[in-house]
Amino acid sequence: MPDELQVNDSKVRLVKGDITDIDVDSFVYYAREDLSLGSGYGNAIAMRGGPAIQDELKELGPKGVTEVVITSAGNMKARKIIHAVGPKFQEEELPHKMRKTIINALKLADEQGIKQVSFPAMGAGFYGVPLEESAELTLSTIKDYLQNGSRIQEVIICLLDTREYLPFQKKLNSIQQA
Amino acid sequence: MKATRSYKAQKVLDRMGNKLNRQMVASLAACVHCGMCTDACHYVLANPGDPTYAPAYKADKIRKLFKRHFDWTGRVIPWWVNAKSVYTDEELEELKDTVFGKCTNCRRCSINCPMGVDYATFNRMARGLLVSVGIMPEGVAVVSKDQWEIGNQMGVLKEDYLDTLEWLSEELVDELGDPRAAIPIDKKDADIVYSINPREVKYDPRTISDAARIFYAAGANWTMPSEGWDMTNFGLFSGDDDLGGAVARRLYEKVEELRGRKLVISECGHGYRSTRCEGQNWAGYDLGFEMESSVITMLRYIHEGAIKVDKSRNTEPVTFHDSCNNARSCGLFEEPRELLNLVIEDFREMYPNRAENFCCTGGGGAMSMAEYTPLRLKSAKIKADQLASTGASYVATSCHNCVDGLSDLIKHYKLGMKVTQLVNLVAEALVIPEKEVLVPVEKVPAVSAGPLDGYKILVVDDEPDFVSFASAILEDHGASVVTAFDGNEALEVARRESPDLITLDITMPGKDGKEVFEAMRRDPALESIPVCIITGQPELRKLIYDRSVPPPNGYVDKPISEETLMRNVRKILEIKQKVKK
Repeated sequence: MPDELQVNDSKVRLVKGDITDIDVDSFVYYAREDLSLGSGYGNAIAMRGGPAIQDELKELGPKGVTEVVITSAGNMKARKIIHAVGPKFQEEELPHKMRKTIINALKLADEQGIKQVSFPAMGAGFYGVPLEESAELTLSTIKDYLQNGSRIQEVIICLLDTREYLPFQKKLNSIQQA
Repeated sequence: MKATRSYKAQKVLDRMGNKLNRQMVASLAACVHCGMCTDACHYVLANPGDPTYAPAYKADKIRKLFKRHFDWTGRVIPWWVNAKSVYTDEELEELKDTVFGKCTNCRRCSINCPMGVDYATFNRMARGLLVSVGIMPEGVAVVSKDQWEIGNQMGVLKEDYLDTLEWLSEELVDELGDPRAAIPIDKKDADIVYSINPREVKYDPRTISDAARIFYAAGANWTMPSEGWDMTNFGLFSGDDDLGGAVARRLYEKVEELRGRKLVISECGHGYRSTRCEGQNWAGYDLGFEMESSVITMLRYIHEGAIKVDKSRNTEPVTFHDSCNNARSCGLFEEPRELLNLVIEDFREMYPNRAENFCCTGGGGAMSMAEYTPLRLKSAKIKADQLASTGASYVATSCHNCVDGLSDLIKHYKLGMKVTQLVNLVAEALVIPEKEVLVPVEKVPAVSAGPLDGYKILVVDDEPDFVSFASAILEDHGASVVTAFDGNEALEVARRESPDLITLDITMPGKDGKEVFEAMRRDPALESIPVCIITGQPELRKLIYDRSVPPPNGYVDKPISEETLMRNVRKILEIKQKVKK
């Protein structure tokens, strides 16, 4: 099955790995409303990036669900981090909020002239969005956004393991077939 | 008037129906409130006048929902069967305190129920329902997210895990004078793929090197995976079956990728139960390899003559604590005793034992829920009494969670016992035969200077006795030592002396260790100096690791031995033990 999708001049690509440890212009962190980094990927950002990132966030937060902010990536391989406050734990109007969060992240990247953005499986895992739903919302929203014109050249969906990868690959395939 | 229900309360009820399997329904329907479970629970024994700790009472908080929404009796005669619903987020918070704070899911009440009610099973289900709507203790959220996203419960990054293995490997090669003693990483077609608990990497690397020493002595064809190495599974504790499945799948897939023949699970009760017994169901995974506890592996090596042991090396009296998950849920209780009796001289049984043993009180994720610590330690009284009555100076257990739970209660009740694991005792008793060295190891000539020669170390602690103790050890090994007795002095001395390493206590007068640590990490002049936290309050770990600064380079609990202090200092300073000739 394919791992890539061409949308106008942009490419959507699936990779397997740790999103906090890839060499990319920017990546999206599924943030909390208080913008504290916390554990999980937040812990990895704090450890690999250093304290400067949380210091920047202190000046930017708190933010409501669907809002996004951008910081440097400290000592990480990436250059920028887009902190996107997505919906959590089956909250009301989750699909609508998720789409809006993804669009806001892409818009911010466009405004900042960022050419390469990496997304995780949005809301999946700890925050409980089923993988199939995450794949549908993440990929279809990104495709729709890129179809309307964007300067972003590449969107990388970085998935932690096979369990995450396969539903995204399946969804990408169904988008290509459509 | 019809009562309105909160969004989260409705979601909990919606999802409950999907969780009800035959086993669950039998337990929810069968209770006759006979009270047999009451004396089985360590929370009840510590709170004899409070009926809210009784398993049957706690179970009714969940049972009433089942009766009201899923059982015909609750629809027809709700007042008769105490069927009630849940409406508010406050009620869900209250339920959280019961299912997380008043039960360790140890299952002692389950095996004492004449009706076969397995309260722990649906208590876990209730935990999972609450987690699915984001209601959980903060510690559960922290650990769950680490395991979901970093791949292990303690947020150990891949590079730190591999660095630790490399360091341990180099030490072993030096110590044994044989390059074959190195820890093989990602070796294909190995007979054994060895998986561990992240606590071993972060706080207790000796258990890894002891296991490696045993595999080496047995001439085993073994390996450790670079990823998917965490055999613990917080899904068992949080009730999140999706997490349980994701974690188990990562481990299983890595073993298959390496074409390993057998997955050996190091000593961890919930890790063993999750990986060996539950993970396949959560993940929906058919295994193409065998699995066993490292206790069985070590016992087999002795029986087969693959390793030789000398029990006269372990002379102190040792008792054994059965982990709830190993013993009660998986039936692993004779093998550890058989193994112990082969490697120690003086075994003291604990009563009650095996499936009837009491929980260490740190199970079910309790060690990560700081808000319930006073309640946990109070409930540990029965365990403390059990331990004290053995007269042993060591308690051995096959569970890392139990090591932490027991260490905490031993300190709280001032029992003066030490906690160890079977792998440590087997390694201590191990007789390593002379082996032909295939590749000559570079021999470093003995030198008169100590391994810390040329290093300056700052020891920070408000206890003068500890400062004297640590200073003497470090100076004996060649370090020059500077000291500070409070937080402000620590910062001042650190800036003035620019030491190579700082050992830092947490609880100190004035500016405490947490503030000092953060100040050091944020000070450009001090940020690169390695810091090793040495504390008598291990429960404060979270306060250090939750800070938005790079974590400490080491973390050691008091009381600390010379060996532990030097091992950690050497690791941080990356000094290899020299081969003594």
